[in-house]
Amino acid sequence: MLFELLEMLRSGGTHTLKDMARQLDVSEMLVQSMIHELVHLGYLKLAAQSCPGSCEGCPTASCCAIGLEGRLWTLTEVGRRALQSQDP
Amino acid sequence: MAEQHKDSIRVALAGQPNVGKSTVFNLLTGLSQHVGNWPGKTVEQKAGTCEFDSLTFDLVDLPGTYSLSANSPEELIAREYIIREKPDVVVAIVNAATLERSLYLVAELLPLGVPLVIGLNMIDVAEQQGLSIETHVLEAALGVPVVPMVATKGRGVRELLTRIQDIACDGAGYQPNPPDIRADHKQVLQRIEELIDSYTPQEYPPTWVALKVLEGDEQITQMMRPRVPQGTWKEIAGIIGQHEDACVAVASGRYSWIARMVRAAVVKPKVGPITLTDRLDRWATHPLWGLVILVAILALTFALTYALGSPLQKLMDRYIIGGLASLATRFLGGAPAWLLSLVVDGAIHGVGTVLTFFPILLIFFAVLGILEDVGYMARAAYVMDRFMHLMGLHGKSFLPLFLGFGCNVPAVLGSRVVESPRARLLTILVAPLVPCTARMAVIAFLAPVFFRAPTLISWGLLTLNLGVLVLAGLLLHKVILRGERVAFIMELPLYHLPNWHTIAIGVWQRLVSFLEKAGTIILGVSLVTWTLSQFPGGTLETSWMAALGHWLEPIGSLMGLDWRMMVALLSSLIAKENAVATLGVLFGQTKSEASIAVALRAAVAPSAALAFLVMQMLFIPCVATVSAIKQETNTWRWPAFAVLFLLIVSLAAGLATYRLAMLFALS
Repeated sequence: MLFELLEMLRSGGTHTLKDMARQLDVSEMLVQSMIHELVHLGYLKLAAQSCPGSCEGCPTASCCAIGLEGRLWTLTEVGRRALQSQDP
Repeated sequence: MAEQHKDSIRVALAGQPNVGKSTVFNLLTGLSQHVGNWPGKTVEQKAGTCEFDSLTFDLVDLPGTYSLSANSPEELIAREYIIREKPDVVVAIVNAATLERSLYLVAELLPLGVPLVIGLNMIDVAEQQGLSIETHVLEAALGVPVVPMVATKGRGVRELLTRIQDIACDGAGYQPNPPDIRADHKQVLQRIEELIDSYTPQEYPPTWVALKVLEGDEQITQMMRPRVPQGTWKEIAGIIGQHEDACVAVASGRYSWIARMVRAAVVKPKVGPITLTDRLDRWATHPLWGLVILVAILALTFALTYALGSPLQKLMDRYIIGGLASLATRFLGGAPAWLLSLVVDGAIHGVGTVLTFFPILLIFFAVLGILEDVGYMARAAYVMDRFMHLMGLHGKSFLPLFLGFGCNVPAVLGSRVVESPRARLLTILVAPLVPCTARMAVIAFLAPVFFRAPTLISWGLLTLNLGVLVLAGLLLHKVILRGERVAFIMELPLYHLPNWHTIAIGVWQRLVSFLEKAGTIILGVSLVTWTLSQFPGGTLETSWMAALGHWLEPIGSLMGLDWRMMVALLSSLIAKENAVATLGVLFGQTKSEASIAVALRAAVAPSAALAFLVMQMLFIPCVATVSAIKQETNTWRWPAFAVLFLLIVSLAAGLATYRLAMLFALS
């Protein structure tokens, strides 16, 4: 199941939790757990986290027009290597 | 297990935090509880007894843990207790409403080989959420007794005790179905088990130990290493080294098992609990409609900005700029003419004109603030990302690029989050093509001056700008990135009602920053522009500015632009708003009483104006952005490239626009 999740990242692009859950035929909750597991195992990492909601102390506050909520994960070097080793 | 008579049954209670384990424990043990510490640990240990059906149940409450890896003292305590003390039964309390998450611990408990009973707690909460769990199916799939419970109401407790008693006294029918390692690693696991089997302490299940060694579990590895002969350990280490992904294979097996169990036993309503977020996202994140909605929202934002902002801006222009100018004229009545001109033409017409952006920016920032606060911007980023996918830029690049809508400088600086050096360079190089608010404000000011349908023109300019961004990205991608692709997983937040306080603070901070810029850099450039337009001869036509402008005129004339427009374009190098400030200074000096807008309309044909707007959208980045590029790339090569590249792109786009506009007789 974790390999299937990693496999979905092979072609690049951005996937939402909802998309992944639908493709793997599991709930978003399970996808979330799997992402945390893969982060723990060093295959994924948190790339960006929602802005804390307060502009104070943020270096881009003066010119930021758009903040983003939600989190973003990406493959680590280990994750990329694992995908390569699974190459058909 | 044969049927046996027991006076007491030793039960360990396991469960993840927040599944109601303590409630079950309190319910069963009541006043008989005693609290101590786990031997040698500072972790609290609770134990107690319970009488049922003339049997004594000795209960131990294991620490609440999400799994049984060696991540924390609590997890070590829980698994060590089960392995060493071998309770008659382990009861796993799971939360029915979060079954997928709760089952992970069960997946880890099963291979320990101790009889397990599952207390499926909070079944009422699951039902409220529309989940129906077929307990008997789950029981058959897991191969262990499953007891539905609502511990807070005392429901299911008697049945739980009965099932514990059954399994403790007669475990004949107990045939658990534990998770398997992923198929392609089965042989590896088998080999490790063969190698360690005879050295594994008696109380430890060999398959579990092999699994943990393969997973790289620190505690088990340390336990086994001195027991296994060196040569054998070398072989084990070799196998593990060859299978770096074994830990994923083990965990993967658990998740597949959980998914199987849930698919078998959980019945979700066909229609499902469709939330508002689901309903909105069906459209907002759709590959086609998402883009249509994004474009429509941008168009609406502009329409709203013009409908509300432009009249206000005109009023400000007439009363504040006009008023200030006449006030200054009256106040400086006896002052030398040059001083009056400096104040009125230089400062008031320069900075004042830019300051009339204020209502436009206020509305623009407020609309963006609302979209951001309700949670739409993450969707916009997602939709845009699919679009950017075309040029090999993903997730991490669009975050800085989205910052670019505010100002290109943080877009360039923000590109640091992109690890791949080539993707970072591409992000830096296309960042100046993101239409920043300063440029959009210039468009917001100039579009209504020249055109009767400013919304359409602005929207078209923005679309053109983004189109050029993608094209430039594609081109640079081919040259710089050569096919490198990045993948991201994105969590979209729930939509929620806007928090007006947060929005107001955001808008206020952005406006203050705009005012600071107007009072410093724009004022400075306005005064320099005025000085250059007054000296050495005292008239605009004989000034240094005119000389510079005439030098640029041959290029401008290709697009029907006179020297003043070219100077305005050039002045936007310092800060984009200066284009308007410069036009204010240069066209504010006309002798007629007509406002700057009228003077501009008289001097520039619509086709030339359109070419000007296109060029100003795509023109060389401002000095702050260029220096940010220098800082980030640590060389002058790339900023020089960016300047040259965008100069060519903007001139080519301007020329093409002018020729096309002429062709379609916009003039």
